[in-house]
Amino acid sequence: MFQVLKNFYHKLGSFPWFYKISGKVIPIVGFFSISLIVISSIWGLFFSPTDAVQGDVYRIIYFHVPAVSVSQVIYYSMSVAAAVFLIWRMKMAGVYIKSLAPIGAAFTFIGLLSGAIWGQPTWGTWWVWDARLTSTLVLFLFYLAIIGMQSTFTSRKSADTAVSIITLVGVVNLPIVKKSVDWWNTLHQPASISISGGSSISSEMLIPLLLSILGVYLFVFFTGLLFMRAEISSREQNKEWFKKLSSNN
Amino acid sequence: MIYPIKILKKEFLIYSRKSSSFISPVVFFLISISLYPIGISNDPDILKNLAPGLIWITVLLSTLISFQNIFSEDYEDGSIELLLASGQNLSLIVLIKIFVNWIFSCLPIIILSVLSVFLLYFPQEGLKPLIISLLIGTPTICLFGALAGALSLGKNSITGPALMLPLSLPVLILGTQAINYSLNGINFSSNILLLTAILIFLLPIILFASVGALKLHFN
Repeated sequence: MFQVLKNFYHKLGSFPWFYKISGKVIPIVGFFSISLIVISSIWGLFFSPTDAVQGDVYRIIYFHVPAVSVSQVIYYSMSVAAAVFLIWRMKMAGVYIKSLAPIGAAFTFIGLLSGAIWGQPTWGTWWVWDARLTSTLVLFLFYLAIIGMQSTFTSRKSADTAVSIITLVGVVNLPIVKKSVDWWNTLHQPASISISGGSSISSEMLIPLLLSILGVYLFVFFTGLLFMRAEISSREQNKEWFKKLSSNN
Repeated sequence: MIYPIKILKKEFLIYSRKSSSFISPVVFFLISISLYPIGISNDPDILKNLAPGLIWITVLLSTLISFQNIFSEDYEDGSIELLLASGQNLSLIVLIKIFVNWIFSCLPIIILSVLSVFLLYFPQEGLKPLIISLLIGTPTICLFGALAGALSLGKNSITGPALMLPLSLPVLILGTQAINYSLNGINFSSNILLLTAILIFLLPIILFASVGALKLHFN
């Protein structure tokens, strides 16, 4: 088992192998992610029951929760990739961070925006300086710093290393930011779903929510593969294997 | 052991002979502190409530003036390259540089922040937590400044401040909270301990990261 994993990890580091495999995986993942998002949106927007307290406004949860949760997961996965890049100098990890940063920033932005749209009719304000909102905003700023740092280096390898350093320093700092804003001010409703403690929403609302979360995660996987392929083809366009591949098609 | 002391001496000489390195943060601080009453209000009650945050934010912004001093001149005249090639312990050298930068750019401001008692009607009993929180909080900010400076060497871009300010958020929160706690009669020692913990925890990580960032520029 361990040998298989190790083998897979080594193969993952090879650009030609990844390019070949991702080309086969992308259509399948893309189909499932988009159909899941469509199904869960229709289910959530038209068929799930109206909330007793918040009315129909709550339905934005089917966009808000997946976006916010995936934005954090992307950042943590990027920090794992950053460690891999700094320790083993695996070029694929650099490609991963560069491709996933804009996706993460986009989903953080969607999360902040949908939260503001949700908050306006429910709590009567677009924005409060509350712990969760503030730490999500800081996450967004970290993403922006990562994206901004990409462009200041001319050498690909230096840019990847710099970005890995920032990502790791950011991931060390994120829990501190989260805790300190927690003590500072908290107004946001507590998380509706938790893995350990069960959930505080009814199953008729929960199932489409879980479907939409799954759909968004698959969508990130799908777009991530697309972005990584684009990045690989721009980095490797002068390599022998890539020329051979593009002349065949 | 003699080598670090030599570096320390050299850094002190450079900073003390280049007066702009410690005068410009001080001037920035004095100008902003005197602008707040003009821009916001000259009502003592309003200023008294805003003073802790205003002082902390001004200190934070004034470090933005000085953080590029830590490495930029050494980078331009090539001495960083020599240090990298010398085989000496780089983390120690970076630590010395950050320490001297802190003494020349942050310490004068911390001393001057006493002036806020007159200019911002800051209550005198709040001075002790103000000075303590600044003394413990600003080294952490200088660490972030060193990392941002090392990453953005030779480039005049917004990325340095854009990296540094979100990182400094916990220090800002805990620092201003300590002052507000003590003004309301609550024990503020937990905040000071947390600031110390953050400093001790981040010190080795940031030093390591800054050395890595410095090496990037010389492949």
